[in-house]
Amino acid sequence: MSVLRLHPQKCTGCLRCELACSYMQTGEFQPAKSVIRVSPFEGHTSYAPYTCTQCAEGWCMTACPVGAITINAVGAKDVLDDKCVGCKLCTIACPYGTMFYDPGTRKAFKCNLCGGAPACAEACPTAAITYEDVATADWLGDFAVERTARVLAEAR
Amino acid sequence: MTPATLTAPKQLKTTSTATTRPGGYAGNLLRVDLTRRTCRAEPWGPEMMRELLGGVGLGAMILYRETAAKGGKGNVSWDHPDNRLVLATGPLAGLPVWGTGGLTVCTIGAGTNGPTSTQANGFFGTNLKYCGYDAIMVQGQSKDWVYLYINDDVVELRDARSLVGLDTWETQGALYKETGLAGHQLSVYSIGPAGENLVRFAAIQGDYGHVASKNGCGAVMGKKRLKAVAIVKGTKSLRAADPRGVVQAAEEIAHDLRTDASARSLYEYGTLPGVVNLSKMGALPIKNYTTNLTSNVAGADMSVWEAPKLRENFDHRGHQCNACGMHHCHMSVIRHGDQKGKIVDEPEYEGWSGCGWAIGAADRDGVAWLNTQCDRACVDVNEWGWLCGWVMECQEKGYITKEQLGFELKWGDVKGSNRLLQMVSRREGFGNILAEGVKRAAEKLGGPAKECAIYIEKGATPRGHDHRSRWEEMLDTCTSSTATMETGNPVHPTEIGQPARINPFDGEQVAKYVAGLRGRRSFEDSLGICIFTSRTRLEYICRALSAATGWAFTVDDALRFGKRTAAINRATALRCGHTGAMEYPSTRYGSTPVDGPAKGQAIRAQWEKMLDTWYAEVGFDRKTGKPLPKTLKELGLEWLARDLWGKKA
Repeated sequence: MSVLRLHPQKCTGCLRCELACSYMQTGEFQPAKSVIRVSPFEGHTSYAPYTCTQCAEGWCMTACPVGAITINAVGAKDVLDDKCVGCKLCTIACPYGTMFYDPGTRKAFKCNLCGGAPACAEACPTAAITYEDVATADWLGDFAVERTARVLAEAR
Repeated sequence: MTPATLTAPKQLKTTSTATTRPGGYAGNLLRVDLTRRTCRAEPWGPEMMRELLGGVGLGAMILYRETAAKGGKGNVSWDHPDNRLVLATGPLAGLPVWGTGGLTVCTIGAGTNGPTSTQANGFFGTNLKYCGYDAIMVQGQSKDWVYLYINDDVVELRDARSLVGLDTWETQGALYKETGLAGHQLSVYSIGPAGENLVRFAAIQGDYGHVASKNGCGAVMGKKRLKAVAIVKGTKSLRAADPRGVVQAAEEIAHDLRTDASARSLYEYGTLPGVVNLSKMGALPIKNYTTNLTSNVAGADMSVWEAPKLRENFDHRGHQCNACGMHHCHMSVIRHGDQKGKIVDEPEYEGWSGCGWAIGAADRDGVAWLNTQCDRACVDVNEWGWLCGWVMECQEKGYITKEQLGFELKWGDVKGSNRLLQMVSRREGFGNILAEGVKRAAEKLGGPAKECAIYIEKGATPRGHDHRSRWEEMLDTCTSSTATMETGNPVHPTEIGQPARINPFDGEQVAKYVAGLRGRRSFEDSLGICIFTSRTRLEYICRALSAATGWAFTVDDALRFGKRTAAINRATALRCGHTGAMEYPSTRYGSTPVDGPAKGQAIRAQWEKMLDTWYAEVGFDRKTGKPLPKTLKELGLEWLARDLWGKKA
């Protein structure tokens, strides 16, 4: 299956992916509703996007008490709005922090790979997000270690 | 983000105000009264949005309406509590057009004591719009230092006494700590020591390296005792009338910037190529306009100033503004020398010239460091170049002594320049005189020292070029009402009926060209978009605006809007006491290059004729400086014609 592959060293922090994602999710531009989030590293000099890795374990699916999380046609875990009761268990279960809860709709929401044409990958001007047929992985670990080393050293 | 993928959003939500409010707008203006310590949202309507757009369009009108004194015959001065500080975005801010984090600052500035329009980017505009506001209007004067905190509907004036004395980067760091946020989650625009101490060319700096630099807007903020504006990335949504159209227009603009010959180098390297390119035209300012030969700068090797080498000299990372795909703004880590390991903002061309060539410095690491020191202190890097270069020349020639200054400052001494910068930003010793800016300091010293100083008689200074071989901009800067260029460089001039090229040293052609390009700059600066990402066809920008708002906005509408805004700013400038006699370059600024590509080209010999032509072309009265009644009526400004000309109109 194809997944979103993240290349954090290419990210410039322009947040274009958040805009594109929120438009796909809500029809409006509202980064607070985006399911891809750009985080700063080293305080402000480096940025990296992060979103659901579509992990094999599927913690969110396992945790959901009402079976509202399913696997869609392109292999992404997706929330079925009519089944979700808004209990937020999935947001607790997800070890990556990529399950979100919308207090407006009282539903959980997450990356569903836009049904096979992810808007974030299309929108990224530096190809820091690509949609590829590769095994999913922890794309950010090494980058985060390297880029926060300076901050941690200063904090000590 | 191709349109095909955006045709079927998961769920379409419309807000209840969607039918009345044009797309692209948050819908509220935030009025902050520092004297009364009140903050309140003022909704604004569709007619006003259509008329003023945002940015300088909105700011110019607020200044005209709200800073009058003596029954409309005069104007409040920059340091008066009734002066307004307008921090405005525009209808495209926060939308996925490249470079749309835009901020325009409009105020009665400390440099010219007249209107200002100066821009910066980053995420100010984005965060503000997502909090639900299109602009902030600051008035009054606080007793104690405060900063403005905005988080959706929570708007507070918070105690900033602990931030006083911090530079702008330290201030942003301190506010990150205080709020527990980082990166673009919190946009901070602040002043450093120069703003606190009312340096006449203090700037407002934000988001690590973005600067609204002109006309001492930082001094206005300092006078109001407003240390910073901190905006949390809000949670509200922005609607576009035709979102797919916005994305399509954004793609067209992006494609043009990536591929058009005039924009491509900017796309790849930002303004870095300016150094080498302008040096070949004689427009790189070298050692306070004393020469135009790079070989006169010690240690200068132009091969290492080519854009790729300039960037690769540093460990660099992209640091783009909202939704931007340009490879323009970067953060750099210095690799060599005694500042090794320091994080700096990659200087713009203006930084390389102001902290480098203008002061005879060609050490790239040192120049990059000094440039960030200017940002941190919050001084305009252009004026810093003219001021520091002037002091260096005056000391070399004996007009300013070592005893006066307190130390010896020679050409290219970056560390000495920083020492001077700290003196100026804290008004220490001789720095107190220099803090008044180039013009006032030069007049104070008088004699031959004054003859060496680069300034405009209004009290402003030029941007970072040698305008003696860029006549359009010298004329534009001198005739401008906003203390910096008002018309700007030509972008696809044939699109608006202007020639593709002119003879740059033919005063008549130059004056007609500057007048003919009028309007576009003020329009762009009203949208919340970056000057560099708008270096595309005006038609595309209008298309983006139309798709965002739902209006049918044409190129003609854009030019008309821009001219109208410029006319309103002109009316405010006249009320501030600006006259035609101030529309002249200083002796050095208007001098004739002694060497280099533009050697012998004498602008002063043609200046009067250029002014005559410009006035005739823009439809202003040469004697009084006022826009003629006919001009104003053609722009739909009958009310302004009555204000300026009384019953005669």
